[in-house]
This record gives sequence, structure tokens and C-alpha cells, in this order.
Amino acid sequence: MGKKAINIALGFIPLVVITVLWWYANTFTTMSQAVLPKIGDVVKTFVETFKNGQMQEDLIASFDSVIKGYLIAAVVGITIGSLMGIVKPVKAILQPTITCIRQIPMIAWMPLIILWCGIGQLSKVVLIVVASTFPILVNTQNGIETIPSSYVEVAKLYKLSVFETFFRVYLPHALQGILVGLKLGLSVSWMAVVGAELIASTTGIGYRMSMARTLMQSTVLLSCIVVVGFVGILMDKLLGLLFAQLTPWEKVKSSK
Amino acid sequence: MSEPIIKVEHLNKQFIVDKQPMEILRDINLEIQEGEFITIVGHSGCGKSTLLKIICGLVDYEDGVVERNGHKVVGPGPKCGMVFQDHRLLPWLKIKDNVGFGLKDLPKNERDAKVKEHLKMVGLEGFENSYPSQLSGGMSQRAAIARGLANNPTVLLLDEPFGALDALTRIQMQKEILRIQKEQGTTMVMVTHDIDEAIVLGNRIVVMSARPGEIKDIITVYSAARKRNSTDFTLVKKKIYDYLFEDSDEEFEVEYSI
Repeated sequence: MGKKAINIALGFIPLVVITVLWWYANTFTTMSQAVLPKIGDVVKTFVETFKNGQMQEDLIASFDSVIKGYLIAAVVGITIGSLMGIVKPVKAILQPTITCIRQIPMIAWMPLIILWCGIGQLSKVVLIVVASTFPILVNTQNGIETIPSSYVEVAKLYKLSVFETFFRVYLPHALQGILVGLKLGLSVSWMAVVGAELIASTTGIGYRMSMARTLMQSTVLLSCIVVVGFVGILMDKLLGLLFAQLTPWEKVKSSK
Repeated sequence: MSEPIIKVEHLNKQFIVDKQPMEILRDINLEIQEGEFITIVGHSGCGKSTLLKIICGLVDYEDGVVERNGHKVVGPGPKCGMVFQDHRLLPWLKIKDNVGFGLKDLPKNERDAKVKEHLKMVGLEGFENSYPSQLSGGMSQRAAIARGLANNPTVLLLDEPFGALDALTRIQMQKEILRIQKEQGTTMVMVTHDIDEAIVLGNRIVVMSARPGEIKDIITVYSAARKRNSTDFTLVKKKIYDYLFEDSDEEFEVEYSI
């Protein structure tokens, strides 16, 4: 317990250093407040936007797109990843194209998506799907492909059908990899939604930042950046806790 | 003699390695009666595991006759269990679910009862809810044996099941498998490279040559010879030893005695 608490405390050191540097720049340099506002002002803006409900409204708008896009990406990624891991012809057909598409930065899709889907939620969801399907797909495929042949032989020994073999042997073995993919996918989704809202949207926290830039509200800009970061780490931790429940055998292994 | 439970006649097996056919088994003839404990010894790579997998139906064969219970072997079946050297318990299943892995068609209460019965048989009561990673090597192998026996097979095939265990655990497990075989009357066929183990466990010992695997001799072991410190034991051991190393020099003997 003591060691754990110390480790958590150590994780806050960079945060403290950044805050001190920020405070130093505010107090001892001539940097304009329009460029680097005071910490106190940012906190004040943050509390205000929460009080008047604007922050919640923005976050809900962003979450709404993330949930829709992420769920689609999870279903598509796990399904195609599994198929590519098990059915060799599917892999042969899709692998080169997928490897090629993965090289394209997610933001490079944005102009085309705006052209096709306009400025609105649809564009955001489409970008999230495009960005987060691949980490989920690749990790699922890898999890399926790394199954030891000895486990498959056990399935054969007990005459499991194709479906039973998939659900009772392949999928549980790949679960660890799938969960890694889902975690990556969620963080990519979050990045994608903020990115999309910065460029083409009328709602969400990214849109708020875009507005703040236009209006030179650097306090809003900074408080939004901090919120985006914290929401990201929060989602990651929550998903990690949920997944630990799904793979109890991994926990036993690491505690041994 | 009654109809054999396992019959192998003129079995030949080749694998294709680097596009070249490689002969693994040559003219194997073997009849196993119900209730027998057969051990198969031979050098590694002599095809003894392949023979076991062919009998089980996990590996195909093209040339020869292989029958279980009077029927041609075309694939695995519930009446034939198998235990591997690596226990092959599925890490994501609790021990009780691993043992009950082949019992999916039974209603839950029957399955639970069977699992319980077999865990008791191998001395693993109280470990129902553990995961394989929490068990030692010997305990994992016990669970694997319980899984192999859970659907009451008439034949249990064991592919070097104690090969990865330490010497003391191995002797303990040998005693247990003999007890289980006596209690259940299951026909057992065990592949091993441990000559002592082959003599202690087998009613008959099949001695195989190096690749391509041929049966050199089938030695019937009388109960007097199954005590490790008896003269008969030593005589049988010497006989097998001579078969396995008949055309080798001193170096090989030294390597073996280490």
C-alpha cells in the first residue's frame, strides 16, 4: 500500500513542475496575459464554465459522438480482426489495403469527410470510426493469430464446432489483445473527436476551443486543454478497471 | 483373447518436410486389450507421439489400419481421452471448467458432479475455482488427467504426461495413475522416454527404434519386475536399454546415465 501511494504521488511531480514554471512565467516575465493567462484566471474560467453548464454541454456533445463512433469501430474492428486472424484468404485480401490506409494520418481524412458528410455530428462519428477501427482491428487480429496450436488441438480433441472453437478458445485467448486495442481505440476516438470539432463542428469541446481561439480567450483554451487531458486519462483508467474484471485470470497471474 | 480395444495393423506414416517425404512410422502392428496399461518407449523423434495422435484421431494416416473399439479411427471421439506433456489447461478457465471442458452437452448439475468426482480422484479438491496459473506443474498435470478422464473414456492416451515434472513428483504421479487405472479400469497407453517409468507402469512395453519408428519388441512385464529394486526390474531395464542403444558407442551411454 505504502509503495503504491508513493508511486501515485511520484506521478504528480511533472504536474507540479509545470505549475511552478507557469507561475514563474506569470510572475517574473513580461509575457502577455493574452498569450499565457494567470493560473488563477484559468481556474476561475474553468469553474465558471462548469457553473453555467457550458462545459458539461460541450463534453456531452463530444461524448455522444465518441460513444457512437467508438461502438461502431469496436464491432467492425473486432469482427474483421477476428476474421483476418482465422480465415487466411480474408487476411490475404484485406491486409495490404489496411496496412496502406493505416499510414494515413487521421486528420488528413477531414477535408474529404467534410466534403461527403458536411459539418455536423456525422463527420465527427465517421472520423472516429476511421481513426479508431484500426488499432482495435490490428490488436484483435494479433491476439487471434498468436493462439498456441496446442490449444486448437484441445478444441479438436473435444470435437468443438467452428463456432465453439472461436468463442471458447480463440476469443478468450485473444481477449487480452482485444482489450489493449479497445483502450488504444478509445484514446484515439477522443483525440479524433476533439480534432474534428476543431475543424468542422458547431458543438463539443473542440468547437469551444476553436471559438476561444477566434475570440482570443486563452483562459478558455487552456482550461479546455486541461479538461481534454483529464477526461482522456479518466476514460483510460475506467476502461482498465472494467477490463480487469473481464480477465480475472490475468490478475491472478500477475499477483503470483 | 477378446477383441482388442485398439488395433493397429501395418501402419505407415510420412510427413512432408521441406517438400521431401520423411518416414515417421514404419509397419506398426499393435493390439491392445481392454484394461491394459501399455507404455511406449523410444528416442525422441521416433514417432511415438505421432502414433498416439493417430490412435486418438488428431493426426491423419493414409497407409494401414487403425481401429478403436472395432471401428476405423476417423477423428477424435469422446471414448478416447488424451493427456499431453504440457498440461494444456486453458488459462482463462477455472480448474473446474477446464476439467468439465469436454462435458458441454451435460446438464449443469451432472457436469458439476462429474467434475467434483474427478477432481477428488486426482486429489485436487478445493481447487475448483483456481486458475491454472495458480497451480504447480504436478497439480496442473493432475487436472489435465482429470479432464482426460471426465467423460469416462474407455481409452486414455498419455503423451509423456510426467516428462516436465521433477523426479519426486513424477514417482508420486506414477503411483497415482496406477491407482486410478486400477479403480477405473481404463485402458491406458503412455508414451515416455523414461525407461523406469515404462517398466513400473506398463503391463507391456512397446520398444521403438529411432526414426523411422519401428516396433523392435513388445516386452510383457510381470508384477515381480515392477518393483524398482528387484532383480527382474534391472533385467527388463537392461533389455530395453540394449534395444535402444544397441548400435551406439560409449559416449551415448555416458550421456544416458547422467
